Amino acid sequence: MNSINTISWQDAKDLFRTWRENNERKSEDVIYIWKAALEYNLNKLGNEKQLVVEQVCIAALDCHRLDIAEFCIRYLNKEFPYSLRVEKYKAMILEAQERYEEALDILENIINADKTNSAARKRIVAIFKAQGRNVEAIKQLTEYLKTYMTDNEAWQELSELYIAEQDFQKAAFCVEELILHSPHNHLLHQRYADIRYTQGGTENMELARAYYCQALKLNPNNMRALYGLYLATSNIATSSKYPAQKKKEANNLSEWALTEIKQRYKEKKVANIEDYIAALQIS
Amino acid sequence: MGATAFHRFILTLGFLSLFHAAYSAAQHRSYLRLNELEFTGLPLDITIQAILSLFVIMYGVLYIAGDFKEIKASADLENRSWETFRNVSSFYIFNHRGKAFSPNYKPLRSKSLLDIAD
Repeated sequence: MNSINTISWQDAKDLFRTWRENNERKSEDVIYIWKAALEYNLNKLGNEKQLVVEQVCIAALDCHRLDIAEFCIRYLNKEFPYSLRVEKYKAMILEAQERYEEALDILENIINADKTNSAARKRIVAIFKAQGRNVEAIKQLTEYLKTYMTDNEAWQELSELYIAEQDFQKAAFCVEELILHSPHNHLLHQRYADIRYTQGGTENMELARAYYCQALKLNPNNMRALYGLYLATSNIATSSKYPAQKKKEANNLSEWALTEIKQRYKEKKVANIEDYIAALQIS
Repeated sequence: MGATAFHRFILTLGFLSLFHAAYSAAQHRSYLRLNELEFTGLPLDITIQAILSLFVIMYGVLYIAGDFKEIKASADLENRSWETFRNVSSFYIFNHRGKAFSPNYKPLRSKSLLDIAD
């Protein structure tokens, strides 16, 4: 925290930019740095000014700092009066105050004014989610996806919602869509394998093994995929439902995964991994 | 690989030299026209100067244009984690326990609101 206290506004600007690009939430830090370095240097930010204000606005809502959020929205409203994008933030502040009906009214006005406004439609889904009405959120989101089929974020959110409802088959389908969209993303392969592993069963376990392997091929540093591969293969190796040939292959793979994991820990200089794993076991 | 003053200097030099070569070529053509000679080709020194300055410019641009990207398509994704990837800002919800830490948060008292949450 000490470095945050003395951060200069130039550094803060760069930091905010990397956070925006990497999609990091870090709302508390954003508010802290905003208060410490950026609030009084707002006019120095140049063409990133509005982006930073938007970022701070969302972070403020996330931390329930409604005073800061209101300041940001007032600022944006002065800059862009009648902008639908600013209207959306007004709906979001109502959302943070749990005044969902009023927020929905604003969002519907936005959609009536601009039928193609996807951000407002997404917020409606988020409102249902915030109220814990997941089934309705799913219904809204599937309607949305019929029109906006290439929206990656929406597919991802739909898969999360299906997982929350424990409908893994449909969640897996959503991740398949995402993989089609960006086949080089190791995280999606890992996610797909996670879902298949959770589902269980002979076929799904083999699918999980295959997708963990693909994730590792795309990025050999994916620790979670390594663990997943170890779990999936050791599951195949100990189950009686598979032919002997497959069990043997799975055994080899699980041994390989385990040595890889040990190697990673050795590189990170963790003294003795076995001791830690033993400590986790229930005696 | 930062762009240093040296590389900027090289780039300027290259461009100046290229323009000089172009100017010389134009002058050569007008010289030929004035003397009513037939054009057969540029003199060797102008050609060499043009090609050399092209390479000088290439060297300068390589250092000024910025860092190279990796050819591998997944190179950018290698350092990203699921934590940041799953974090979709357009679906944020603000109705979470984090708001209890806010200095201006007042907890709900009325029972009917809690019933709705259930």
